[in-house]
Amino acid sequence: MNINDIISSGLLELYAMGLSSPEEAAQVGAWVVQYPEVKKELLEIEMSLESYAQAHSMEPSASVKEKIISKITQEEKPNYLSFTKSDAAKAEPVIYRIPSFFKLVAAAMLILLIGSAILNYSYYSKYESANNDLQVAQQKIAEKDSINLAMNKDIDVMTDKNAQPVVLNGTPHSPQSLARIFWMKNTGEVYIDPSNLPAVPAGKQYQLWAIVDGKPISGGMISTEKGIYHIQKMKSFGKADAFAITLEKAGGSPAPTMDAMIVISKI
Amino acid sequence: MAEIKKYTEEELVYLLKSRDTSAFAYLYDNYSSALFGIIYKMLEQRELAEDVLQEAFIKIWNNFSNYDSAKGRLFTWMLNITRNLTIDTIRSKGYKKQAKIHNSENAVDNITDNANTTASFDALGIRKHLTFLKNDQKQIIDLAYFGGFTQDEISKHLAIPLGTVKTRMRAAIIELRKILQN
Repeated sequence: MNINDIISSGLLELYAMGLSSPEEAAQVGAWVVQYPEVKKELLEIEMSLESYAQAHSMEPSASVKEKIISKITQEEKPNYLSFTKSDAAKAEPVIYRIPSFFKLVAAAMLILLIGSAILNYSYYSKYESANNDLQVAQQKIAEKDSINLAMNKDIDVMTDKNAQPVVLNGTPHSPQSLARIFWMKNTGEVYIDPSNLPAVPAGKQYQLWAIVDGKPISGGMISTEKGIYHIQKMKSFGKADAFAITLEKAGGSPAPTMDAMIVISKI
Repeated sequence: MAEIKKYTEEELVYLLKSRDTSAFAYLYDNYSSALFGIIYKMLEQRELAEDVLQEAFIKIWNNFSNYDSAKGRLFTWMLNITRNLTIDTIRSKGYKKQAKIHNSENAVDNITDNANTTASFDALGIRKHLTFLKNDQKQIIDLAYFGGFTQDEISKHLAIPLGTVKTRMRAAIIELRKILQN
């Protein structure tokens, strides 16, 4: 085939339109490399068809470009690690082995995590019960402390050098009963120790009386709350002929109920 | 579209062979609408045509080392890749062509309508000249270029021998070249 025959064959046009078969395309490729005139002819055909295509161009959506650029920049990343394509192909079986190793590691970690969670739970319950025990113990200590403090006060009263003990003995109404008063000679303060009085019936309360110039004067109500009969401070008396305790209704009475006198002293 | 950078085809090919992504963006900006026009006219479905365009450009990027400038222009090589992908799509099971181009008059009308809104100033100038193409010349170029027809199909469609397809195509393109040179 001479150059003119090639040019007039129509194959160059089909080639430029992408319509040639692979054999024809290979043939045209060989010709253009061999003959500059053929190449020149092809170039002109190509440029005219390119113009024809440009004349019928349409704008695709802007998103297409974004998708393409993001895809090729993603694919380019392995190049920065200087992998060639064949390196990447060779490395693939290795990449498949790694996940099974990681699976084992992941399974082991999962077991450790579950174990740790169980231990956490058990340690937390132990911690909670220990904490409860501690609070109970602290409360008991606080109670003991307040009892101890009260007892110390009692002892302070009893051992005060100005304290004059006054014994109140049981009356015929209650021969077993006994009470003691610590009367401070310097200040006139009166402390009662009711610990040997019988338990108070419900709705009743012990009331202290001082007999001053033959008349009974109330010395205050004796607290027996929660069944505790502590030494406690009553009203102060500078002088008194005698002390007595009667069982009165809760809150006390203006005058003593003589029939309910439990103990009485003589000074 | 104000393009600050302008590459010659040689520069562009050199940069693309060295995997320059900004040169690839330039390539896309300059050729995507021409290729998309062809794909769209072959498929007549915009979304599908955009998928094929995307696929084509990724293939162009991945296979750029295969391009040999001694054997033809860059556009011809890109057109080949694009056409082949488009024809694969047409032949795939899922594809149903909504309106096949039987009448080349309609085809040309469609092409003109579709291109109207998006063609650049240059393209409009060229299209004005293209009205000087004879109908049968336009027909054979459009069937080949935009119809996705093979040589055999054109031969059957126009009821002319295969040899005549080649000579008529050549005559039509010589006419096209004359028109564009003026």
